Amino acid sequence: MRLGLGRFLKILFSSFFIQTSWSFSTLQGMGFLFSLVSGAKKNERSKIMDTHKGFFNTHPYMSSYIIGAVERAYDDEQSSTEEIQKFVNIAQKSFASAGDLLFWEILRPALLLIGTILALKFGVIGPLIFLAVYTAFHLYHRIQGIYDGYNMKWDVIYTIRSKRFTTTQHTFELLGAFSSGLLFSLISLEPNYLLIIPLSILFVLLLLKKVPSVVITFVMILLIITIIWVGI
Amino acid sequence: MSAILISVIGAVILLDKYAFGEFGISQPLVTGAIIGALFGDIKTGIFLGAMLQLVFLGGLPIGRDIPPDGQLAGITGSGAFFLLRIANASGHALLIAMLLALLAAVVGGTLDIFTRHFNTKLFHMFLKRENRLATYHLLGLATAFIRGLCIFLPLFILASIIMVPTQFPRMSQDLFAIICLSLGLANAVYLFVKKSTVVYAIVGGLCGLAWVVF
Repeated sequence: MRLGLGRFLKILFSSFFIQTSWSFSTLQGMGFLFSLVSGAKKNERSKIMDTHKGFFNTHPYMSSYIIGAVERAYDDEQSSTEEIQKFVNIAQKSFASAGDLLFWEILRPALLLIGTILALKFGVIGPLIFLAVYTAFHLYHRIQGIYDGYNMKWDVIYTIRSKRFTTTQHTFELLGAFSSGLLFSLISLEPNYLLIIPLSILFVLLLLKKVPSVVITFVMILLIITIIWVGI
Repeated sequence: MSAILISVIGAVILLDKYAFGEFGISQPLVTGAIIGALFGDIKTGIFLGAMLQLVFLGGLPIGRDIPPDGQLAGITGSGAFFLLRIANASGHALLIAMLLALLAAVVGGTLDIFTRHFNTKLFHMFLKRENRLATYHLLGLATAFIRGLCIFLPLFILASIIMVPTQFPRMSQDLFAIICLSLGLANAVYLFVKKSTVVYAIVGGLCGLAWVVF
């Protein structure tokens, strides 16, 4: 069984809108339903509408893996509604944690760090490199996710342990650590730059104490006002 | 570039935050360059965007958690700076723009909560008229766009009319860089430096220092 190009493009395009109507009651529920309905055959739509009207939440780039598998289940007509719902419940959590870790906690900050250093040293090349590399990674997962979901059905959940996740994660962890050190290349050899040392320690302590980021933002506002008031 | 036009452009770019695509275009590093180019000073735009990016490197949107809106801060900071600079000194523009950006980040997070409550109403409307799934779902684009506009419009209009008195304190680019680099360094260490990666961070640090010295 193959997923036609037309249906694939419909699923891909609609998955870009997965979080458009993000709400506290169903989170990405309507977005997930919208994507499923967009890619479904006409005779499957009413069944999908009846089954998937509730809560759904996963990493936005990872949703394609789940959508692909669910579309296949409806095409097969071999799985019960309960089976499909059980898969969605398990898969959304697994892909959410895998996607959050890979994209939000490692890949995006690491690429932003590299892009920032390049931007401050070489100009517009920094944002361009960030966009090009980041787009390559998330589009790969969004496109391959639909095909893998459709071809592997329930087994798609095991791709979380594949190299596309683990190797990328490991590589960008190391790259992120290297770029953290490379941030020193942005300092200037002037005495007032020594202020970076106590300020960085203060911010690291706040982050380690899990102080909410809203509080850290206010600390920064207070710091700016105080430093300017004192006249450093 | 008028305050209204830059507000509309900002609100459209902000859709990338979660309403459409999440391609990374709304990250401060990119928006700084875009807004800088619109105002004809891409170099300063990149500098502002890069510095704000370091501030908002963390703040991960995981689950229901809504951290301060770094993307909103990036657009506000860069846009407000260029609007303020038309009638004010650079040091004044930088100080006011950065304070506005940080406030916008916090207010933006709160406004996000209202937007998501409104989206719940859209869901209930969809339950009453199930044949209108696409309409109610895509109306989320409008709520996200209006959220951006609600923040950008007043802040950018304010930035375009403010005249800062000359004796008012200024913020130098160096001081701005020091504060942003400090938080950026802290964010990076918190995110990436662990027992298993500390060697790479030290090697990176040595390379960075060598880059500065030579």
